[in-house]
Amino acid sequence: MLPGFAGVLVFYLLPFLEVVRRSFLKSGNNAFVGVSNYQTVFTNNAFLLAVRNTAFYMALGVPILMGISLILALLLRNLVLRRKFVSVMLLPMAVPAAVMVLVLRILIDRQGLINGIVTGVSEKIAVLPIFEGIDYLNSGWALVIVLCSFLWKNTGYMVILWLAGLSALPKEVEEAAKVDGANRWQNWHYIIRPGLSGTTFTIGMLSVLQIFKSYREVWMVAGSYPQENIYFLQHLLQNWYLKLEFDRMAALTVLLSLVLLVVCLCLQKRLEQNIR
Amino acid sequence: MGITQIISGKLKKRKKKNSWLATVICFLMAFIICLPLLMIPGGAFADSSEIRQMLSPVLGEAKGYVDWHIIPFYPTLEHFYRLLVASPAFYKLFWNTVGMTAAILVGQLLVGLPSAWAFAAFQFRGRDFLFGLYVILMLLPFQVMLLPQYIVLQKFELYGNPAAVILPAVFSTFPVFIMYRGFTQIDSEILEAARLDGAGEMQIFLRIGLPLGQMGIRAAMVLSFLEYWNLVEQPMAFLEEQKDWPLSLYLPQLDIAQAGFAFAVSVVVLIPALFVFALGQDALEEGITYIGMKE
Repeated sequence: MLPGFAGVLVFYLLPFLEVVRRSFLKSGNNAFVGVSNYQTVFTNNAFLLAVRNTAFYMALGVPILMGISLILALLLRNLVLRRKFVSVMLLPMAVPAAVMVLVLRILIDRQGLINGIVTGVSEKIAVLPIFEGIDYLNSGWALVIVLCSFLWKNTGYMVILWLAGLSALPKEVEEAAKVDGANRWQNWHYIIRPGLSGTTFTIGMLSVLQIFKSYREVWMVAGSYPQENIYFLQHLLQNWYLKLEFDRMAALTVLLSLVLLVVCLCLQKRLEQNIR
Repeated sequence: MGITQIISGKLKKRKKKNSWLATVICFLMAFIICLPLLMIPGGAFADSSEIRQMLSPVLGEAKGYVDWHIIPFYPTLEHFYRLLVASPAFYKLFWNTVGMTAAILVGQLLVGLPSAWAFAAFQFRGRDFLFGLYVILMLLPFQVMLLPQYIVLQKFELYGNPAAVILPAVFSTFPVFIMYRGFTQIDSEILEAARLDGAGEMQIFLRIGLPLGQMGIRAAMVLSFLEYWNLVEQPMAFLEEQKDWPLSLYLPQLDIAQAGFAFAVSVVVLIPALFVFALGQDALEEGITYIGMKE
């Protein structure tokens, strides 16, 4: 136990505290500058853009991911082939990001496969207007691509969490309701939905954290300076790191971890409430 | 109750129905998910000129759109030959990946197992606070830890050394959490009975903890393997020279003009991951439920 904790201390806790300290210092001469690093961050245009984008991405990605995976879990839970489907849906977890990105580059290029297929279809159906290929990564579509890859990667993970939540519901209630003539909608609305509220919260918080972890794919597809809709806080941190702007990076690190800390604490509180 | 049983519905007798609509929807979903993967063999086994011709629009050499053959017209092992025989750099990077992943997994076992067991089997002062801290640390994304870890690595003069990637990962709290959850699945009465019968703490850990908690251990190893086999941000931030990189960072740097070679590298990267996935799938599913599980 002790060596493990010592390592956590040295590689995680102490350096983090050091960063908190440095966020109040000027990098280089280490003079105390109070909150001026934080002011620099808040007035930085790239920061404001990144916050907006990250929030928007989250506001879209979290509900869509939760919705799709819940629907799939509800469809799956009584199926004979459930185990097979779950395996396939988990498969993206095993696919290294680099492999996925290679395929993606061929799919979404301006003259790529997706545009090719859409053009082929729209040429066959004369009513549709002529389709001009979309440059996905350099237009507003970039966010859609990011969302799709996020969903592709995380749906299976969330389906499993929903299935576990569903299986914890007492079966008898549903059966009793069925005997009393409850239809599917009533079954969902009065029995399953309220019973899942704890699970919903947990999955919501985990989805928020997964949004932050999906940066790897975004960076690999679009690089350090992507289309402005998908310029996220992680890009900002990474770019400040490369430019050695450590003072404002420290301030941003502290700010971001405060936000994530709130998410984590809510999650923890919820997990503890569930014990009682 | 394990997720394996939940999913296969062994514990709770559940009436299984063959709902056609649901099956069709799920089948469609599964198909969409697999679709991008189906493109990989087409790239890895097609010969260079075929790939060049398929991709010529992307390469800016032709009008029109990419035309992808799922099964290549002229299948060849040329890219694998080039990979295995004519690219010494590939071997170096491949073994970097293997070495890094192996070192991290072994380290996590050595460091994490005692910690996880301590959290599961003993009550000590500050345990709950400490555990809360571990959970928060495991949930933070890497970018938040980027600057803190850089500072430490600079201090120890590890920057640019493979240890810069390995050491922080070894002390990651995530495997501790998963193994802990595995240990808490053990009935506490068994532990008490063993103590009453005079078993030493070491004996309890070796004879009861390890065998009964092995699902958690396997889950932690599978999740870690999939994570570290796929490492990108850490080596990018902390390793300067390309000769120290893992394949997962090298692959995206390959030019699209070398697509055949890149796809062959993909296959090599993908196979071990799929192998671990297939072997450890029950553990993987179990591990995921641990993350969202009530205490």
